[in-house]
Amino acid sequence: MTDKKPKLEIRNLRKSFGALAATDDVNLTVYADEIHALIGPNGAGKTTLISQISGEIMPDSGQILLDGKDITRVPPHQRAAVGLARSFQISQLYHDFTVEDNVAMAVQAGTSKRFSLWRNARKDESLRKPAREALAKVGLEHRANDLVSSLAHGEKRQLELAIALSLNAPVLLLDEPMAGLGAEESMLMKDILQGLKGQYAMLLVEHDMDIVFALADRVTVLVYGHPIFTGTPDEVRDHPDVRDAYLGNE
Amino acid sequence: MTRKYIVVGIIFALLILVPPIANVTDDTFLVSMVTRFVIYALAAVSLDLILGYGALVSFGHAAFFGIGGYVVAIVGFHMDMGDTLFGWAGSNSALVIWPLAMIMSAVVGAVMGALSLRTSGIQFIMITLAFAQMLYFVLVGLVQYGGDDGLSITNRNLIPGLDVDDNTTFYYVCLVLLTVWVLVCRRIVNSPFGMVLRGFKQNERRNVNLGYAPMPYKLSAFVISAAGTGLAGVLWANYALYASPDMASWLKSGELMAMIILGGMGTIFGPIIGAAVFLGLEQILTAWTEHWMLFLGPVLILVVLFSRRGIFGWLVGGRNND
Repeated sequence: MTDKKPKLEIRNLRKSFGALAATDDVNLTVYADEIHALIGPNGAGKTTLISQISGEIMPDSGQILLDGKDITRVPPHQRAAVGLARSFQISQLYHDFTVEDNVAMAVQAGTSKRFSLWRNARKDESLRKPAREALAKVGLEHRANDLVSSLAHGEKRQLELAIALSLNAPVLLLDEPMAGLGAEESMLMKDILQGLKGQYAMLLVEHDMDIVFALADRVTVLVYGHPIFTGTPDEVRDHPDVRDAYLGNE
Repeated sequence: MTRKYIVVGIIFALLILVPPIANVTDDTFLVSMVTRFVIYALAAVSLDLILGYGALVSFGHAAFFGIGGYVVAIVGFHMDMGDTLFGWAGSNSALVIWPLAMIMSAVVGAVMGALSLRTSGIQFIMITLAFAQMLYFVLVGLVQYGGDDGLSITNRNLIPGLDVDDNTTFYYVCLVLLTVWVLVCRRIVNSPFGMVLRGFKQNERRNVNLGYAPMPYKLSAFVISAAGTGLAGVLWANYALYASPDMASWLKSGELMAMIILGGMGTIFGPIIGAAVFLGLEQILTAWTEHWMLFLGPVLILVVLFSRRGIFGWLVGGRNND
């Protein structure tokens, strides 16, 4: 890593649902140009953590900092504007819109035209062109005019990523971008993410260890809501606690 | 796409040709009947803007229909009595009264929307219904303005250069306003704002995640919709020369929804067909029986079962996501 500036910092974050500590004193730093993977067994609280960073769930205590600025209480609809883009584990798309419409919605969110009542959104090249460029980045440009409901699962995952990219946010929160993908599609997605490496600070939740070890600069292991270890992929692979808690079970 | 424009073209061509046809067939009632279609279409199109595109099922839109009507009636009442309204001498000009009524509807819509849009789904339906019923009983309680019986209106509001007392002229005034409103609504649903509104219908979570706060968009749409429905109320009061609490009753809200479902939700043009079919069926069937809803019910069920986008969707054919 060339840039050691912390982009996203999570300090002492806690969130309980009743007696269940879903997020238990999480400290985590994502640097500006790294891919930071978040792994852990099912129910470890990975998605809950992502949801707190993206503002959908309010933590009980602790802080979330972006570029050193406290954004813990920024409402969810302003998180994209301050610099956080999230892709969902279960694709969140507009099913009656075309693929290009879906991405244009993200492009439009960052412009002053978002509240315009009069111009034609579908003929506005300043919204459409960036949308097509984002689709090209994920290899979906040939599907631009098709309805989302006609996409295959893998294509929906690519679209989900294109939407997140179009928010022009420096931080990407990627919640299992490979969820439900076959081996070939996973490889494609891996290549896409590899190509984006260095351009964004990425927090990547992923189950497939081969992909995590291939992509990530650093890995944090989450068990029962608590990070038990953070290190390089090699360190994580060799760490005895991690083997016990996670890898050993695989 | 082209088939859609042919259907829309035929609808408007028919509407334009109604007075000449009535002239030829010497049917004096026809123009009057179609004027009612057009006025209700204006209200239904307005409601479709939020119901069809924003999934905001307002069961209280009759409130704005009533407000529009009562603004015309109350101002006229005070002018007839020769007194003032809050120190204002009043006006009989459509150019003053009609925008005033739209603003009143928009203001009430803003308050009603701001409170009811905090909820969603069934709660939203019930709270909008509750607001409209509140207004209904306020109108019933306004003894000075006729209470239950409503208010008669002596004269239609004047438009410079037009003889609005002529039924054909008045019909064309209504048709022009409907056309303009339909164009405005089409423009809105295809704008960036409209895309966001439709986004809330399809996937609110994604919309918020992209940075769109629900309230400003939903409330703006609600207010625009209220203003359009208020204008329809204005036209109704001018047409019937009468405003009564029934204009704001929940039955009226239900009728507007039935028109939208019949014609095609989320199509803007569909509710025009819906209004014509609904009121046309009422006209024909009430000649036989007062229980005409018995026949409307099955028609509604058939339309809902066999066409996702109502009669308009069926006429346009294919899959049309516009």
